[in-house]
Amino acid sequence: MRGVALQVRGLHAGYDKLVVLSGVDLEISRGEWLALLGPNASGKTTLLHCIAGMLIPSAGSISICGHSLRQEAMGAKRRLGFGCAPEGLPNLLTGRQCLEVHAAAKGLAAIDADVLALADEFAFTDMLDRFVGAYSLGTKQKLAVLLALLGEPALVVLDEAFNGLDPASALVLKKHLRARVSAGRCAVLLATHALDVVERYSDRAVLLLGGRIARQWSGAELAALRAMPGEGLEAALAAAAVGASGAA
Amino acid sequence: MSQPGSLPANVPRRLSRRPHLAAALLRWRNAFRLRRARTLGIGALCAALVAVVLAVPPTGAILQWFGASPIITFAVSACLFGLSAVRRQERMRSDAAISWLAALPVPSSSVLRLVLAAAIRLLAAIAAVGLAWIVGWLAAAAAVRLVYVVAAGALTGTLAGSPLSGGAATGSPGWHYASVRRARPHWATAPSLVPLSYWPVAQGRIFSRPRTSRVMLFALLAIPAGRRDPGEVAIAVAAGCLTVFTLLSLSTAAVRAAGDAARWLAPTTIRRRTFVAAFIWQVAVKQAAVLAVVILLSCAVDYPQALRVGSAIASAYLAISCAAIGVACVRACHRVGLGAAGRGT
Repeated sequence: MRGVALQVRGLHAGYDKLVVLSGVDLEISRGEWLALLGPNASGKTTLLHCIAGMLIPSAGSISICGHSLRQEAMGAKRRLGFGCAPEGLPNLLTGRQCLEVHAAAKGLAAIDADVLALADEFAFTDMLDRFVGAYSLGTKQKLAVLLALLGEPALVVLDEAFNGLDPASALVLKKHLRARVSAGRCAVLLATHALDVVERYSDRAVLLLGGRIARQWSGAELAALRAMPGEGLEAALAAAAVGASGAA
Repeated sequence: MSQPGSLPANVPRRLSRRPHLAAALLRWRNAFRLRRARTLGIGALCAALVAVVLAVPPTGAILQWFGASPIITFAVSACLFGLSAVRRQERMRSDAAISWLAALPVPSSSVLRLVLAAAIRLLAAIAAVGLAWIVGWLAAAAAVRLVYVVAAGALTGTLAGSPLSGGAATGSPGWHYASVRRARPHWATAPSLVPLSYWPVAQGRIFSRPRTSRVMLFALLAIPAGRRDPGEVAIAVAAGCLTVFTLLSLSTAAVRAAGDAARWLAPTTIRRRTFVAAFIWQVAVKQAAVLAVVILLSCAVDYPQALRVGSAIASAYLAISCAAIGVACVRACHRVGLGAAGRGT
């Protein structure tokens, strides 16, 4: 049995009086890649921040590999790799310092060899001793992904990780994540608008609309959409959005 | 209701042709509306602090001394306003290239912004002198003379400081002031929290802008002081200003960077105490080093007195600074859930 990497039950969250998530249920198994889709301001980043423990939900529960984020936060976070938004990276540290600090903060004895190998594949090594603030958007994304993968996390959570990456680096990342997932080393939750990644690499996809999961696509459905000439997931997403607004 | 393409009705119409000023005004107004209670609270706290500072006898003695020494007062005022103009211009230049309004075919209103900032500072200085007169530290004639001298210094300083930092927009928010530490040719594989403390120190250097601080040092050293030993007074004033500026820059930088650092490390398993210690220690060491040098130099003038008074002041400042940074760190940790072992049932 693969085991549940992430379980979200009845999650409600927001900012002050603004309700963003209302009753989200989600489950990801180890060895599974789940794509989180949704229009802008649908609550994707809020959901990811709740899972990373950065935002306290008003109701509901989150557990990572069986550890409740509320009651056993350290146990849960030990199994989490979170790729923060590029603007959340420290501009006044260098890439190397970010890796050192993040690895130490995760309690690691050494920086993982395959993270270093991935950095080499990203052609990131030349940027190591420059301030993060001087990086381009794509280079910041690479660093955010490398930080998320430190410490062999059982759950990798990425927010728009392909945004700004050049095609070669994006392909390297897709293959790397796919290899990790296929080997059962981790589960991946990726919030994205890149539909090619969803169609070709994800095992499942969910659509978040108005703070709820409005639609899910299984692996077989994604494969069927991939085979459809011309339209595919893009048309399915539009249809789901129209259906959801009609029902509302 | 506002017309399409126009600013909202409650923004002064004159600002419609000056989007940089309008944006600044709206930013301040929105920040006030968003955190009305906090802003009013901070304002009240500042007012109370000013009242307390003005009420203590040494303030009266200092103001009377400045009132009786118009040349020094003029020089100090000119230096401070000149430095402020240089720094503001530098900031406007660095912002110009990355501003969201950069591509608009309108003037950036830099002169007006410079004059407005100087006018606000001058009004604050005049208000402080007025309060000193109300409290009774200054006679009416002395207060008026002080206002004239400060205003003349402000005008001279702003005019002199404005052309000093001319040049093209840089688009760099001052990273050149912070230096890269421990650049190495090969991959480091040893995790370490030490670099975390470089962050507030680098931010402090950007805040203190060492280049403009040097301008201030030379300007202050040129003050023709009127006391028994003009050189000593001038150097003491310069060193005091630079020391206070450096210390405050480091403290402010650490307090301000604490939130970002906690947010960045929130998804990790780092403990709160470890985070606070790792974040603070370089700032504390830097501040202790600066204070130690000042005490050492002061000891050359008056050994026992400087050591006694200097040690007490240095210890008090270090304690207050570390406490403020620590509180900022703990608050930030709490806000983003860093180091929380569990949050209730």
